[in-house]
Amino acid sequence: MSEPDCPTYTGSRLVLDVLIDEGVDVVFGVPGGAIMPLYDAMYTHPIRHILTRHEQGAAFAAGGYARATGRVGVCMATSGPGAVNLLTGILDAQMDSKPLLAITGQVRTPLMGTDAFQEADISSMAQGATKRAICVHTIDDLERTLRAALRLARGPRPGAVLVDIPQDLLKAACAPPRGRAKTQVPRFDPEYRKPEHRADDAALDEAAELLANAKRPVAVVGGGAAGTQASNLYRAFCAKLKLPHTATINGLGCALPGDPRFLGMLGMHGWKAANLAISQADVVIALGMRFDDRVTGRTDKFAQDATIIHADVDPCELNKIIPAAVSLCGDLRDTLARLNQRLEAPATPTFEAWAQEALALGTPPPRDRTPNVELSATDVLDAFFERAPAEVIVTTDVGQHQMWAAQRMRATTPRNFITSAGLGSMGFGMPAAIGAQLGRPESTVVAVCGDGGFQMTLPELATIKRYDLPVKILLIDNQRLGMVRQWQELFYERRYAHTDLSDNPDFVAIARAYGLHAEFTGPGDDLRAALDRFLSEKGPALLHCACYPTENVWPLIPPGGAISEGMEQAAK
Amino acid sequence: MSSTFVMHDWRLLERIVGLTHRMGCAYTRVDVKADGNRYTADIDFTGPPESLRRLSAQLNRLLNDDKELHS
Repeated sequence: MSEPDCPTYTGSRLVLDVLIDEGVDVVFGVPGGAIMPLYDAMYTHPIRHILTRHEQGAAFAAGGYARATGRVGVCMATSGPGAVNLLTGILDAQMDSKPLLAITGQVRTPLMGTDAFQEADISSMAQGATKRAICVHTIDDLERTLRAALRLARGPRPGAVLVDIPQDLLKAACAPPRGRAKTQVPRFDPEYRKPEHRADDAALDEAAELLANAKRPVAVVGGGAAGTQASNLYRAFCAKLKLPHTATINGLGCALPGDPRFLGMLGMHGWKAANLAISQADVVIALGMRFDDRVTGRTDKFAQDATIIHADVDPCELNKIIPAAVSLCGDLRDTLARLNQRLEAPATPTFEAWAQEALALGTPPPRDRTPNVELSATDVLDAFFERAPAEVIVTTDVGQHQMWAAQRMRATTPRNFITSAGLGSMGFGMPAAIGAQLGRPESTVVAVCGDGGFQMTLPELATIKRYDLPVKILLIDNQRLGMVRQWQELFYERRYAHTDLSDNPDFVAIARAYGLHAEFTGPGDDLRAALDRFLSEKGPALLHCACYPTENVWPLIPPGGAISEGMEQAAK
Repeated sequence: MSSTFVMHDWRLLERIVGLTHRMGCAYTRVDVKADGNRYTADIDFTGPPESLRRLSAQLNRLLNDDKELHS
């Protein structure tokens, strides 16, 4: 039987209905040839679509939405260039365990392999950037594949999945969804994880015993504790033992804001107290983190006197980089709940004295200062965080401003600090803020951007304006690719190759051209008043801060160095 | 290192080959059998012990995801 010209129910409609059924309420994307049938179905479909101005913006926005909400962020693009443009955002999500589904249109099945117009073998290209990338070959596989892809993206460890759908399948007649999302699964709950991995009882006993007998234990938390329940259990764990604790960049916000025993961020630009406490610890318990090289520095010197307890849901992370004496493989909520039970015994010691000792190991370093009155980026960020609401969501690009923001952010939850940590992709901040604002419309969302990264996804200002999103952009403009400039100063004998952006455009004029409220502040201006106006603006706004170019991020663990060997100023 | 992998998507072989190369390892034998919708691959790898350890972890993650996808 031939396919009807205008079937009443098509693969495109099936895709959208499955997304709705699985709890997806917003998708980010850009239409194009091969994916046109899906967009045509969207014309009358209740799903909300956010048109970004570039596919990379769509993928970053989906990542920001995912991190802010814990739900799967969905992005879509057409075949060829559209699909390839998604890849950076897809890999960002994969590396930071943000749940993300990318849907790409593909050329018609008979054209695949003919080097057709806008043909790209995206499912092959994306294999190394995703948990899985799947090209659907028959309409009968479409529903099952989509549901399985969403399930895989959610976890146990979240990540990115790509589903590539040829155009003829999007147009093909099919039956409405046969299955329904498993109703016994609280599928809209970002806290839900399959309970199949559980830490071993004996290993938990051993971990509790190590902690009970420790003299200088330190806890490190990462993005694996980003969920509310895991964060709360982590806070209870830290409060119970009164031990000093630190966090990776993705773990910021897991600790209770204002926790007096929180040492600050760990790693290359972490606070000295955190890095030195790890170096002096006799037991380190690492929870939901993966010992990234930016965290460990030189691995043979990392926590070299400590016995390591490592808890993670992904068994492949255990013993991957730092060998653990005790491995706790399982859902962190379950692991922490059972560990906390074991620490309930009245004889369990606390470590207040060691915590105070650890806190005294270092204070934030003195900041770089110029001899004149130029505006300092760290002053801008200090003043911003003094004024921002406690529940502010901050997204960042990548570079110096990202590290300064991470050092200062006292997030109330990990979902309030959103960055491209693992991939380190510039241009992430503004589109991620779009996703975060759509996912949490009641929140104040501020994208802290550098002048380099801001220009990489600048067209998304149009997206902010189109949907009237009250996103705020705090632009730290030091007229340089600042982190690279810093490394050139410190490690490349001040040969400043191609990091000068002193010919930057007029950012205020650009933002105003897109319809945003925009203001400039520079040396001699009243920074605090400008920040107050910026934060009280009802709609989208940009504050362009013209900062001096030579301020460096301190501390800094030099390349190949141990985290106990942080630099706090440039060599004279 | 000899490993037996059971997978639902034979394209995983492409990833296994790619990761083997990325880790600086090689394979000396690949034997794949199809059984309905499942594929069993017996592969002998060579390489530095540390690289083989990391390769093994990455391959286990791939196969866990494959299992999850088809559960």
